[in-house]
Amino acid sequence: MDKRQAPIIQVKDLHVDIKVDEGMLTPVRGVSFDIHPGETLGLVGESGCGKSLTSKAILAINEKKCSVQGQILFRDDKDQEIDILQLNPRGKEIMDIRGRQISMIFQEPMVAFSPMYTIGNQINECTRLHITKDKQRSKQISLEMMKKVGIANAEKRYDQYPHEFSGGMLQRALIAMALVCKPRLLIADEPTTALDVTIQAQILELMKSLQKELGMAILFITHDLGTVAKMCDKVAVMYLGRIVEYGDARDIYKDPWHPYTRGLMGSVHKIGTRKLDKLFSIDGTVPLALNLKPGCGFYDRCQEHQPGLCDLREPELAPVQGSHCAACYRCRKGGEGA
Amino acid sequence: MNENQDVILQVKNISKRFVSKGVCVRAVTNVSFDVCKGETIGIVGESGCGKTTLGRCIVRAIEANEGQVLYRAKDGQTYDLLKLDKREMRKVRKEIQMIFQDPYSSLDPRMTVIDIIAEPIKANFPKMPKKEREQMVMDIAAKVGLNTTYLKRYPHAFSGGQRQRIGTARALILKPQVIVCDEAVSALDVSIQAQIINLLKELQREMELTYIFISHDLSVVEHISDKVGVMYLGQLVEFAETEALFSKPMHPYTEALLSAVPVADPDVQMQRIPLEGEIPNPANPPSGCYFHERCRYCQQRCVEEQPSLRQINGRQVACHFAEELDLRGFDYEKA
Amino acid sequence: MNALQEKKQLRQQRKAEKARQKEERYYLASQWTLMARKLSQHKLARVSLVILGIFYFVALFGDFFAPYSLTAYDPSYKDVGPTKIHLYHEGEYIGPFVYKLTMQRDPETYKKIFTEDTSEPCKIQFFVQGEEYNFLGLFKTGLHLFGAENDAKVMLFGSDSMGRDMFSRIILGSQISLTIPFAGTFISFILGLLIGSASGYFGGKLDAIVQRIIEVLNSLPSIPLWMALSAAIPPEVTVVQKYLLITVILSLIGWTGLARVVRGKFMSLKNEDFVMAAKLAGVTDFKIIMKHLVPGFMSYLIVNLTLGIPGMIIGETSMSFLGLGIQSPATSWGVLLKDAQNISNIANYPWRLIPLIFVVIAVLAFNFLGDGIRDAADPYK
Repeated sequence: MDKRQAPIIQVKDLHVDIKVDEGMLTPVRGVSFDIHPGETLGLVGESGCGKSLTSKAILAINEKKCSVQGQILFRDDKDQEIDILQLNPRGKEIMDIRGRQISMIFQEPMVAFSPMYTIGNQINECTRLHITKDKQRSKQISLEMMKKVGIANAEKRYDQYPHEFSGGMLQRALIAMALVCKPRLLIADEPTTALDVTIQAQILELMKSLQKELGMAILFITHDLGTVAKMCDKVAVMYLGRIVEYGDARDIYKDPWHPYTRGLMGSVHKIGTRKLDKLFSIDGTVPLALNLKPGCGFYDRCQEHQPGLCDLREPELAPVQGSHCAACYRCRKGGEGA
Repeated sequence: MNENQDVILQVKNISKRFVSKGVCVRAVTNVSFDVCKGETIGIVGESGCGKTTLGRCIVRAIEANEGQVLYRAKDGQTYDLLKLDKREMRKVRKEIQMIFQDPYSSLDPRMTVIDIIAEPIKANFPKMPKKEREQMVMDIAAKVGLNTTYLKRYPHAFSGGQRQRIGTARALILKPQVIVCDEAVSALDVSIQAQIINLLKELQREMELTYIFISHDLSVVEHISDKVGVMYLGQLVEFAETEALFSKPMHPYTEALLSAVPVADPDVQMQRIPLEGEIPNPANPPSGCYFHERCRYCQQRCVEEQPSLRQINGRQVACHFAEELDLRGFDYEKA
Repeated sequence: MNALQEKKQLRQQRKAEKARQKEERYYLASQWTLMARKLSQHKLARVSLVILGIFYFVALFGDFFAPYSLTAYDPSYKDVGPTKIHLYHEGEYIGPFVYKLTMQRDPETYKKIFTEDTSEPCKIQFFVQGEEYNFLGLFKTGLHLFGAENDAKVMLFGSDSMGRDMFSRIILGSQISLTIPFAGTFISFILGLLIGSASGYFGGKLDAIVQRIIEVLNSLPSIPLWMALSAAIPPEVTVVQKYLLITVILSLIGWTGLARVVRGKFMSLKNEDFVMAAKLAGVTDFKIIMKHLVPGFMSYLIVNLTLGIPGMIIGETSMSFLGLGIQSPATSWGVLLKDAQNISNIANYPWRLIPLIFVVIAVLAFNFLGDGIRDAADPYK
């Protein structure tokens, strides 16, 4: 594995708990991963698997009712390791990291912008806050970034309001806003889910080329296996608050180990191939992460579960082959589960 | 050919315009296609291309401005759905049903599931005794894979996938022939999507259903459809058998659309055909071919003359140069 | 060891079963059950509901709870402050009792001074026979909750300038003050529902006209309008008729807000997928309105009604306060407050303001209750 550079971010044993009337919700249960500079990690999972909460924890923007434990070690531009969870979520240090060193792109570009201000104004806000107080200079930087993300007529667009932009353009503007401070880590939370395929392809390519140019790391969160295959170097598959499989994208797509990953892959018809009569489908639905039973979270839906083993203790994420890890007892014994 | 006998639904030159604040938006322009019994027709296109409006015009949830929808009913007669009056429509209506996108807003939260599924029967056969009605509900619920002991519950007790099953049961209880599925699986998680798609296919075989499957998701459409229609800016630009369309598109827009789909395989990196600009404003469409501004094969003729949907080798394409262009699709042999 | 484990397992099973049953009840709960459940978690609303329950209970059996009738007066007890209730007579505990009062005038200021005649304690007795009244219009009885012996007066909140017991008058006044709003909101409700849903359902021109009418009605200043309308009531009508007419006046102005709410809800619900599904299933328009739309905004209507009642209470109070509403001897909280109109009255007889406390409590309680219902109104979010 490539170890030339130290990872930009290391998430270690992250837990998020939410207390509700009925008991304890545990949407994130011991998630660990790291991302190196210039790398893209895809966090894949269905709704309710905890992927969004994980990304919010990195920015320390979880709601008050969530209690977050674990470690999130971020290597800042002075090459110092900072544990984000130790910082005051309203403090100065996190403000400096948020927006400048780690930034985020959201799913709905329409709601990410305030309709009351011009696009330029909102991109500029970031520049003024983090880079320069000089008005002329900051406008120039913002305009440059708008051009870089492919907004034609940037000067004219600068003074327009969000409703004058189309969805795709708005997503570009959002990317410009996220990248204007040249962050070291970009969190993209379903950045293309709300977009059409042709626009999606444009945005993904844009993100890739900007990544090459700026050398940032990307945490790419999505439920869409297609975009992950296109974007990511590494993939972490999440189920019920845990990473169940982790490894190079190619390894995971070619040779998925965990039954859930295999089910997920089988559920999607791969476009451009002869169709099968029936899609593989996983029975049942994702359970609510409330008062969970001991044992593997996937136990009830797994076709290969072993009573007396899987339902007693939750399997840990363990290497299967090289850096390819899976959290399943089946995968331990030389891979007869494949 | 004998195939003509099997045609159950003929959509002919349907157009729908919306007028708001003095601006006329052409949502659907001159769309025609035939649907054979037992087939699944996929309609794909990007947001704003008019596919949802088309679906609603066909079931007459909204009134089309022009055109015909010729439907051959169970009684053997052919009706033009758009010309029927209210009373006649009620008779035919039960044979054409719809499954909706949003499993949450499509079920009335204030009714129990059994009432929701039974509603169409109550409306059409008010004299049916309660026992018989409930038996029908039970049967159909079992068929769509719902646990029949839970039918007294309210919709809030069910997850998205189960709600979609409830919506399907409601659509099926009158034993329709044609079902319009408007993004029926788009709001669901991937693994649940597969469940519902499998269910729809099973039901199709069992009940000889005909689907018009509207979706923006090309891989779902490819999987489920026998024929696919591609829409752009309210027009049908291409209509063909699924495999033919995906392996060898004949319209440049179809080609660009296919090349943009992310394939769930890191090794397949298709060369994307870049589309210039954005979808034009439907209130003010470009001259000639609606696609010409973004088309990389555009010629003078495309700017001046609007192409009509032509028959070429058993498929329909709306492009002046369909025969000459050699466009790229997916390579089925390699995959 | 084994038995212990079995026991543990059994306990766990029972617990799981209980949880399952709870869940099942939730799944089987209708909209109203869910709302009631949510409402019961709202503390302020719960307290308000209890307070309002007491108010209405007392108002319903007002003749029983009030020691004196509406018309009873005693010229020797004019402008008396709240009666003192004693427990010890000459150092001896004999239970609650009052003394009779004698009036004198201060020779210099000419002010009335009441002194207690401590020679004879008059015990307060419960369930005593007093003035006869018609119990709920069913039968005649003279039973009252309490009263003093020997013709002594118990005036918990003092008396007015004619020697009438304020406590009795507040209770009997609440019969009007607390019911006019209901009758009024009922008319508003009907008007708002009909006009609002017609406006929302048909849309177009009708909608535009209705909206303009609402705007005109809303822009009328209310007090001059009340005055004009009250002037239109012929003076010879009976108290009951006047009461009804006032209700009508209040509700003729009050329906506008409700109509707007109904219209808005109607329009948003009309576009829900389940309405289209019903249409496609062949359900008739009328049935769609009755089965899908009306239940859909009913909860919002109830919120609006609850929040509208305080406005009506204040409206009635203001009208009576201005002398436009109920006239003596019939009474309401507004009529009672009319006595507190001038400064010297308040300075000399501060108990005249006691009705105000009840107005405030009732209005607050309705507001809190409405608030709670609003939070519970959409249990599906």
